[in-house]
Amino acid sequence: MRTWQRIKNDPNLINQSLIREKVIDGIRTFFKSGGFREVFTPIMVPVPSIEPNLEVFKTELRTSKGVRRDGYLIMSPEFSIKKLLAAGVGNCFEITRCFRNEEEVSFLHNPEFTMLEWYRVNADYKDIMKDFEHLFLDIIGKDKLEYQGGVYDLSLPWPRIKIADAFKKYAKRDVLEVSDADFYKIFFNEIEPELLKLGKPYFIYDYPISQASLARPCKDPRFAERFEVFLGGVELGNCFSELTDASEQKRRFEADLAERKKLGKTIYPIDTDLIDAIESGLPEVSGIAVGVDRLVMLAGDFSSIGEAQLFPGKELFDL
Amino acid sequence: MNTINAGNITKGSFIIFKGAPVFITKAEFMSPGKGSPVMRIRFRNVQTGSAGEFTYKTGEIIEVAEIEKREMDYLYRDGEELVFMDPKSYEQVNIPLALVDEQFGYLTQNLKCWIVWYKGNPIGVNLPAHVTLKVVESPDDVAGNRINAPKKSVKLETGIDAQVPLFIKVGEKVMLDTTTGEYLNRVK
Repeated sequence: MRTWQRIKNDPNLINQSLIREKVIDGIRTFFKSGGFREVFTPIMVPVPSIEPNLEVFKTELRTSKGVRRDGYLIMSPEFSIKKLLAAGVGNCFEITRCFRNEEEVSFLHNPEFTMLEWYRVNADYKDIMKDFEHLFLDIIGKDKLEYQGGVYDLSLPWPRIKIADAFKKYAKRDVLEVSDADFYKIFFNEIEPELLKLGKPYFIYDYPISQASLARPCKDPRFAERFEVFLGGVELGNCFSELTDASEQKRRFEADLAERKKLGKTIYPIDTDLIDAIESGLPEVSGIAVGVDRLVMLAGDFSSIGEAQLFPGKELFDL
Repeated sequence: MNTINAGNITKGSFIIFKGAPVFITKAEFMSPGKGSPVMRIRFRNVQTGSAGEFTYKTGEIIEVAEIEKREMDYLYRDGEELVFMDPKSYEQVNIPLALVDEQFGYLTQNLKCWIVWYKGNPIGVNLPAHVTLKVVESPDDVAGNRINAPKKSVKLETGIDAQVPLFIKVGEKVMLDTTTGEYLNRVK
C-alpha cells in the first residue's frame, strides 16, 4: 500500500508529517534569531563533489540551441556555500535537498534527502558543537528524548570524546596505526557499543588527517579538526573547521581522485571555481552537515527515515 | 563452501557467523564520507535465538549458510510446536512455535508456507506475503466520525485483532499483509 493510500485509510497519519514541518520551522527560527542568513544554492551543478566512497546522480543539460553540459545533483551544498563565504556572506545556513546514488536504501538512507548545513565565521568546530547542542534541545523541547524504547539524557554538555582516546581506551589501539579500511569496522564493533552505554548523545572529534578531506589540521598535524555527533548509534552530523588553504585543498582533491581511480570509479573534474574562491580568501569558518530526515525520525520516534517521509524512495521506486 | 562479499549480505538471508548459522534481520550498507564502506548487520542465531550485531568491511568474504526451502502445509499447533505436512510425501514435521513468533496469528489450516532447513533441522518459516482471514467479532455500531475511511478493531478467526474499515461485517473475509499486519482488501 502506498503512503497516500494509508493516509486515506487513516487520515490521522497526515499528522505525522507535521513533525517535519515543526522541525524545519524550528531550525529556521533557531538560526534566524541567532543572526544567520538563510542561503539558497543550486541543486544541479556542473561539477560534483568527489568523495571516493560516494556516488553522484548525473544528468545532462541541453539548451534549445544544442549546447550540452554535464549536470550533477548535489550530495551537499558545501561547495556553493563556501563560495558565498568567500564572497563575504558571513554566518549562514541552508536547508536543501541532496542526492546520493549507489547507496543502500535503508532505515537511515534515502536516495533523496534533506540536508541542513550551517557555517559560523571566526569560529572553530568546538563552537559548532555548542550550536548543535542548543539546536537539538530546541527541536526536542526538553532534556530527555524517548526514542524507540530507549531514553536519552540530553542535558548539557554532551560528552566530547577524542577519536584517539576512544581507540586507546576501548579497542586498545593507536588510531594512527589503524588503516582507513579498518577504521569503521573497529569503531562499530569495539567502540560504539561502549559509547552507547553513556545514554547521551556524544561528539567524537579529531579524526586522523587521512579522514578529513575538507577540514583543517589540528595543532598535531596528524589529526584534523573534524567531529561527528551520534545519538543512539545514529550519526546526526559531520563538522569541520574548514580548510582555508587553497593549495592544500587542491592536493586533497587530487588524492581523492587518485583513490577513485584505484577503486575503478568514474573520474570527475575538480571544482576549480571552489579552489579559486578559497584562494581569494575564505574567512576562518566552521561548518556542519546534518541529516534533517534523521532529526525528524528522532523527534517523531520513527523507526526509519522512510517512515517520516510521505514519498519514501523505497516505495516510490519499488526498491 | 558458498561465500559472498559482506557488501552483498541481505536482510532475510542466512550466513555463518563465528561458526553458527544466523538469520539476518537487518543489513545496513554504510558509506562514510571518508574511510571505507562497511556493512552493519543485525542477526538472530537460529539455534539459540539470541540476537547480535556486527560490522564487516564490505569486501570481506562471508560464508553463506547452505539452507534448503520446502513448501509445506500448516496443520495444527501442538503445545509449543507447530505441525506442518509435506503435501507430496505426507511427511509431518514439528517446528518450534518461536520460529513463527508474532506471525502465528496468520496461520490457518492448510496454509502453504516455506520451511527453511539447515543441516536437517528446521530453522525458519516463511509465510505467504498475504493471508485471508474471517472476521468473527466486530463492535456493533462504531460511530462514524467526520473524517473519511475511519477504522475499527475486529477479531479474526485465529484470535488476533486487526484494524479494518467500518463496512466490514462479521462473517466476511479480509486480506492482511503478513509483514505489517495491515488490512489490504475485502475478499468475496
